[in-house]
Amino acid sequence: MPSEPTVRSILRARGIGRRFAGVTALDGIEADIRAGEVLAIVGENGAGKSTLLKILSGVLAPSSGSLEEVDAQGRARELRLRNVAEAAQAGIALVHQELNLAENLDLAGAILLGREHHRFGWLDTRSMQAEAARWLARVGLDLDPSTLCGSLPIAQRQLVEIAKALSANARILILDEPTSSLSARETERLLAMLDELRRSGVAIVYVSHHLDEVLAIADRAIVLRDGRMAGTLDRASMDRATIERLMVGRDLPPTTARPSLDGAPARLVVDRVVSAHRRQRPASLTVRRGEIVGLAGLVGAGRTELLEAIAGLGHASGRISLDGRPLTGTIAERVARGLAIVPEDRARHGLFTLDPVRTNVSMAWLPRGAHAGMVDHAGERDLVVGMITRLRLRPADPSRRVQTLSGGNQQKTILGRWLAVEPSVLLLDEPTRGVDVGARHDIHEAVRAAATAGCAVLFASSDLEEVLLLADRIVVMHDGAIAGEFTRDTATEVAIMGLATGGTLETAR
Amino acid sequence: MGAGYPCCARLRGMTIHRTVAVLATAFSLCTAMAIAPTADLVAAQKERIAGYAKQPMKSPHLSFVSNGVADFWTIAKAGSLAAGKDLGCEVTVVFPGAGLSDQKRMLEDLVIRGIDGVSVSPIDPKNQMDVLNQIAEQALLITNDSDAPGSPRLCYIGMDNYLAGRQCGELARKGLPGGGEVAIFIGRLEQDNAKRRWQGFVDGLLGRSVDAERRDDHTKPFTEAGYTIVGTWTDSFDRAKAKANIEDVMTRYPKLALVTGLFEYNSVLAVEVFRQAGRTGQIKIAAFDEGADVLVGIREGIVLGTVVQDPYGYGYESIKLLHALTQGKLDAIPKDGVMNIPARTITKDNVDAFWSDLKAKLAAGKAAK
Amino acid sequence: MRKHWGLLGIFMVVCIVTALYGKNFLTAYNLMNLVQRTALFSILALGVGFVIGTGGIDLSLGSVVCLVGIAVPWLLIEHGWSPWAVVPIVLAGSALIGLAHGLLVTRLRLQPFLVTLCGLLLYRGIARWMTGDQSQGFQGEFADLRSIAVGRIPVPGLETFRLPATTIPLIVLAVIAALFLTRTVWGRWLLATGSNEAAARYSGIPTARLVTGAYVACSLLAGLGGMLFIFDVGSAQPSDFGNFYELYAIAAAVLGGCSLRGGSVSVVGIILGTATLQVLRNSINLLGLGSQLEFAVIGAVLLAGVAADELVRRWHAARLERRGAG
Repeated sequence: MPSEPTVRSILRARGIGRRFAGVTALDGIEADIRAGEVLAIVGENGAGKSTLLKILSGVLAPSSGSLEEVDAQGRARELRLRNVAEAAQAGIALVHQELNLAENLDLAGAILLGREHHRFGWLDTRSMQAEAARWLARVGLDLDPSTLCGSLPIAQRQLVEIAKALSANARILILDEPTSSLSARETERLLAMLDELRRSGVAIVYVSHHLDEVLAIADRAIVLRDGRMAGTLDRASMDRATIERLMVGRDLPPTTARPSLDGAPARLVVDRVVSAHRRQRPASLTVRRGEIVGLAGLVGAGRTELLEAIAGLGHASGRISLDGRPLTGTIAERVARGLAIVPEDRARHGLFTLDPVRTNVSMAWLPRGAHAGMVDHAGERDLVVGMITRLRLRPADPSRRVQTLSGGNQQKTILGRWLAVEPSVLLLDEPTRGVDVGARHDIHEAVRAAATAGCAVLFASSDLEEVLLLADRIVVMHDGAIAGEFTRDTATEVAIMGLATGGTLETAR
Repeated sequence: MGAGYPCCARLRGMTIHRTVAVLATAFSLCTAMAIAPTADLVAAQKERIAGYAKQPMKSPHLSFVSNGVADFWTIAKAGSLAAGKDLGCEVTVVFPGAGLSDQKRMLEDLVIRGIDGVSVSPIDPKNQMDVLNQIAEQALLITNDSDAPGSPRLCYIGMDNYLAGRQCGELARKGLPGGGEVAIFIGRLEQDNAKRRWQGFVDGLLGRSVDAERRDDHTKPFTEAGYTIVGTWTDSFDRAKAKANIEDVMTRYPKLALVTGLFEYNSVLAVEVFRQAGRTGQIKIAAFDEGADVLVGIREGIVLGTVVQDPYGYGYESIKLLHALTQGKLDAIPKDGVMNIPARTITKDNVDAFWSDLKAKLAAGKAAK
Repeated sequence: MRKHWGLLGIFMVVCIVTALYGKNFLTAYNLMNLVQRTALFSILALGVGFVIGTGGIDLSLGSVVCLVGIAVPWLLIEHGWSPWAVVPIVLAGSALIGLAHGLLVTRLRLQPFLVTLCGLLLYRGIARWMTGDQSQGFQGEFADLRSIAVGRIPVPGLETFRLPATTIPLIVLAVIAALFLTRTVWGRWLLATGSNEAAARYSGIPTARLVTGAYVACSLLAGLGGMLFIFDVGSAQPSDFGNFYELYAIAAAVLGGCSLRGGSVSVVGIILGTATLQVLRNSINLLGLGSQLEFAVIGAVLLAGVAADELVRRWHAARLERRGAG
């Protein structure tokens, strides 16, 4: 065990505030970032986390208060960051929620982007690869530096991003929702690596919705609500209930009880379907009317491919039926039959980001409300306003571009699009990735309500907590095949993990 | 399709032999700067002709190359093919449709095909010396319609554009004896024949002495002898643009008394625009070439008259001369190296006879696809 | 309309400058000419607007104009067909060309740029081959048919200004296009497809059909435009008729606020963009600037217009960002 490094302040936020066109987004934030410590920043979306991160990383300047750099002797000096480059100069690096690696570069090129080694103007590939290999080892990745970034799974790309930040001499590493795309195993590995970095004296600012992770790794936590400090907690005072209460500012209502499914008829029947996943084996499953089935498994287990096969996206063999009639054809034809899919990658496959909430929500509903092909504008307005209220979408403004919404509200927008057409089958892929506690609760409740109304729900999630919370039945996938199944009563995190990582049902139980 | 179309020639010739030839030409074009000076190339051609005097070529392969695509050239094609038939030689007629580079490419292709003699209407001779030299080195080169001064061409067949322009200018002067505002429309002014024709028109209109070397500035309006030339408008062969030019000029110069279209379609569009605007007869038209609407306009009296070249003659005489040269008859070339085929002025008096003759020749050219 | 202030400003400036310093800009005759040219080019630009709306591009439009413009007099005069046969056949042919483009783009997943670039070469080549490179004209015949384009409709209350007949098809098409885009489900879906094709597909929108439809509309309008152009001009030469018209149409659409990334189309913007280009060409003549400068002036104004638009858009986005950030 390496010796515990000396913990000392290196950056302080002093009464930081930020106003946008007269609206206060952030006010009176105090933070003490210390070398060798993990500082968690938690809060619901819209609480001001992203604004604070932007100020810390030099994207935005504070409108009041200041940042202070503290040197080894404890002397504080005001730090004015005018842009990201200056923040990088000061040793501050932000690893984005949306990963930014250039897909066509190799690892060495990506890690040393902008700091390429060269000799007489020619790239010195060998020395670049040697250096890149050092940084990859530091984050626990054993990869050839000439691998293309585009070929890496998301979890590894995240680590590459961290390696990139470290290679740029970062002393303060800001991680924004780093585990939103990771499986439990990968999350564990990331946390272990962060612990390693903390020991080596790096200061880490960790932003996450996953309170488990915060509880596992943070030395201290700042809770934000509505742009203000709702509380500062140290290890001793940190517990789940306290954090949630501080974040939400209200006690979350208890989740709705699930009605009994006894005698409910099968609605969606998947019979020996083989999807485009390279190792997929025939998968069969049934979702009953009103039932919520969770697909658990590691990233890459073939869950997304299975959902897409059911939706008619991409090639697949096997038979699928809905309410006893075969479900075939293009996705457009299946949607006309009552199928709905909330995709995993909402920016790419879900949202019309430059368009307002209104058109995003009404997209699938349009033909229903149309008279002779003409859009019913009044009906559309009522629908959207109703959906905003029903899903607690914030801000409650139908003309707001979805690009400017938080992750949770973006997800609600896509969900609203489908709830508007009262689907028979609702497929959800990672329904609450990058979504905060309050919005997650709202989304789960909306899904439960849809199921209660008769919809057959099938969702995939890497978040075991969510699977256990939402599903009536859990189907576990491993390496392209269905590995086993649990009812809500028989499932435990350990048992699911066992199957998901290649164990058998017997060993799992 | 006839052999005259380069696309077909390309498809047919894609053999190893062809590839070698392409490479060889590419190489020789690269070294074009090192080609012998003009005088030497002329001498070389004459030497070749002397050789033909001893051993005349049997059915030589000759080519007629236009500077664009128009009915005018279709008639020239009829003339060329008729000569080919009369004299028993293979004739390839080529119409470059896309300007300078297209013509260059087609000429190069002809060289590669081993042509024996070429009559070309160069679009921009100063910038085409390389390829003209290239032809002269391997074949016999003459020019038609537009000359290439300083090139190794053996002869120029065509009308003197300056004189033809004068004929048109004199037509305008006769129709507008009291002077007035005159606008000139021409497809483009880059080529030598267009410049000379333009100058000829101006000199003829203003009643100046004959001087083909005179050069006025076409970019500025000027007044002389009671006539004001308000300007010259080009259109790079975009007809919608050419039409818009005439409309805009009518708008800008309400007192406009006469327009001339120095390329065929400029005249045709002038008739068209005046008809649409209901101003036929108010503004006079001195036309060039034999567009159908222009001839109709002459009949109706809304066009003063038109100056026509004899494209059939260009075609026929080109092939006839090239053929004579391949038989070793060097004296077929006129002394000064220019074979003048004069332009004619068509007015109400002779339009009908001209038209029926024209139709017959055009039909012959079209039939010869 | 709000997003066209920049363009409207440029349009007004060009008009005012020409009216002040040029000659007879505001005469009835000149205005009739401008309306006529704007109507003709707008029909082309509307078509390409649909394709741009889906995030595609159509470079073949000028060649379709040429093919149709050549085919109409060729069939009528050279082959003596009846106009009742020629007009429907030619329009159906244009629609088929669009269908081919659409299927190649959606089924074979070829790049629209590539497909229509090949079209650009192909249709002009066909036009030239079909006619043996002969120029084609009406030779003074079919005056009734041509009045569709060259006719002038008297306007009550105005003495000298008569409305060019081409404004009728333009108004009809513009109203249909505007209604389609803003009022119909398919119009909304078309724009959604342009703004995010994948998201549209995941929403159950039949994207392939919409994209194909846009190409059909584009080529059909190019065909209609080509027919009106040839009616207007009277004769055409296969080698140069309609050259660069695709670029005028695309430029007008982009100037009118259509994003080349897809997802936004404005009918008003397209017409205003076309009008700006046409007035600009007219003013170069009326101001006596010399046609040599024409392309340079158009290029400069286009660049200024697009740059101004981008700056306004950024400023607007920055304001939204400031207002919207949490």
